[in-house]
Amino acid sequence: MSAPNKNRPAGAPKVKDWPKHLIILLVLGVELLPLYMMLQISGKNNLMFTENPWLPARLGEWQWENYLFAFELIAPAVANSIFITVSTTVLTLFVALLGAYFFARYKMPFSNFLWAVFLFLMLMPGVANIVPLFMLIKSMNLLNTLWALIIIGISGAQVFNIYILRNFIEDLPKDLFEAAEIDGAGHFKQLLHIVIPMSGPIIGTLAILSFLTSWNEFLMPLIFLKDSELFPIGVALIYLDGEYVKQWGAIMATFLLASIPLIILFLFTMKLFVRGLSSGAVKG
Amino acid sequence: MQKPISTAKALREWRLYLFVAVPLFFILMFQYFPAASAVYHSFFEWDGDDTKRFIGLDNFRRILGDTTLWNSFILIGILVVANVLKLVPSIFIAVMIHRLKSDRAQYWYRLLVVLPMIVPQLVVLFIWKFFFDPNLGPLNKFLETTRLIEVLAWFDSTFFAGNTFRTDAPIAWLSQEQLIVPALIIWGFPWIGAVGVLIYLAGLQSISKDVYEAADLDGVSAFQKFLYIELPLIMTQVRLTLILLIIGTLQSFGLQLLLLGEGGGAGGRGMVPGLWMYNQAFVANEFGYACAIGLVLFFFILILTVINNKYVRVDK
Repeated sequence: MSAPNKNRPAGAPKVKDWPKHLIILLVLGVELLPLYMMLQISGKNNLMFTENPWLPARLGEWQWENYLFAFELIAPAVANSIFITVSTTVLTLFVALLGAYFFARYKMPFSNFLWAVFLFLMLMPGVANIVPLFMLIKSMNLLNTLWALIIIGISGAQVFNIYILRNFIEDLPKDLFEAAEIDGAGHFKQLLHIVIPMSGPIIGTLAILSFLTSWNEFLMPLIFLKDSELFPIGVALIYLDGEYVKQWGAIMATFLLASIPLIILFLFTMKLFVRGLSSGAVKG
Repeated sequence: MQKPISTAKALREWRLYLFVAVPLFFILMFQYFPAASAVYHSFFEWDGDDTKRFIGLDNFRRILGDTTLWNSFILIGILVVANVLKLVPSIFIAVMIHRLKSDRAQYWYRLLVVLPMIVPQLVVLFIWKFFFDPNLGPLNKFLETTRLIEVLAWFDSTFFAGNTFRTDAPIAWLSQEQLIVPALIIWGFPWIGAVGVLIYLAGLQSISKDVYEAADLDGVSAFQKFLYIELPLIMTQVRLTLILLIIGTLQSFGLQLLLLGEGGGAGGRGMVPGLWMYNQAFVANEFGYACAIGLVLFFFILILTVINNKYVRVDK
């Protein structure tokens, strides 16, 4: 664990940074190797890969048809994933805002009890729930629908989001609410016109976290979906992985296309992304 | 924290209860009800249809004698230890990045650390599965090109049975019994967790440059700086990630399901408790027994969570 400048004489005024740069680049280089391999193999066929596994193919030999194959295969799944993820994210935050508003605005009778009901969920691991949840969804006739995934996504994310939002809403200036009340605004209007405009950054951060969780989910879709036209990317890729003859170039191209929505999100929300991930640690 | 409001006012504001009713409905219906249902059904023999038969504690008696389950708990113990050790590279890289003088460089490295997150986790997993492929996989290619395979084969034949690593046959990382556990640990090398690095960096931020300068003047070595300046500051974050990691590892079985399949790979070597529960429910159609396994797992995690809440205080 020691840094490279360990043996430098005591009290030396200048510490050289380049050994640190070298080590960081080396480690991150290996860490990014899967991404590099995905990119470069997506332009090859199996023969080209066997002959030259490490370096990218020349541009003239790049196998563009891999992307065509990938697009046809994964585009419907990406559409499904976007539908599920966006619906889950929007509804999760809306429902969580309702809950957080209740706890943050006044201390109503039973507030403490209800809060405990929410917090207790932090103690409960979700893994034991999977089997009964499957039975519940089955009895509700929601098996093999995208709504099943959205509903489960919403209910799973409530505690964390309400917890964060409650603290935030409690810190909003009280006179804003009082002024709105004098103007005759009901609670829903206050939520809409005071809370939501004022909590833009925190909502953005929570939205990114929720988006990532939902986008990466593959176990629930695998359990709850049967029809291939409903598959989000996760399950679609699992079935692609199950094929016998593997054209790695085409498979890597599919992986690449499946990542594009997240890449776009990343480009536009880099700051929120980094902040959202840092605060994700508080998730209990 | 607000003061309690008067009953009269609470009665006037009864509409607020409609607000909380929405999230409450979701958690009661899709979290508490399934949990209660799991407890209830763990006393039944149930194939998932309408026919169920009350069998008392038989499911739990069966668990006591279920060697697959207990072996899976041993494996998950090994994986927890491995995952804890895998935190070290993230801490190391976070400290390295933090010690750089240039803020610009820090920013760009942070971005590079986050970069793998733009690929769905599943894709990273599948790329690793491809790395492990016996014939085309880059891991075997790397071992052949660098001739490391000869070293491994020599090591294996000298100290072990000599049938794991051989120069005349490709290494089947995911289908050779004795290689399954190592493969489950190796994947993801060098194990830089983007979230981990970011929160350690956030913790390190509070160290001012003066502290380092003072330490330099006193001739404090790089490792001592880590031990006495940096580690104490990120201890809260480390403890937090540690406990989340342990609970997460105990619950997870997606990795094993995708890399090795429902049966946990050759000889069931990759079987973890969650996967065994999944297997009993959706492969063997023994939903009652699966619920009982889920409860045992729940119990283990609950104990850990209680210990965590008691000893790990997280101040925000």
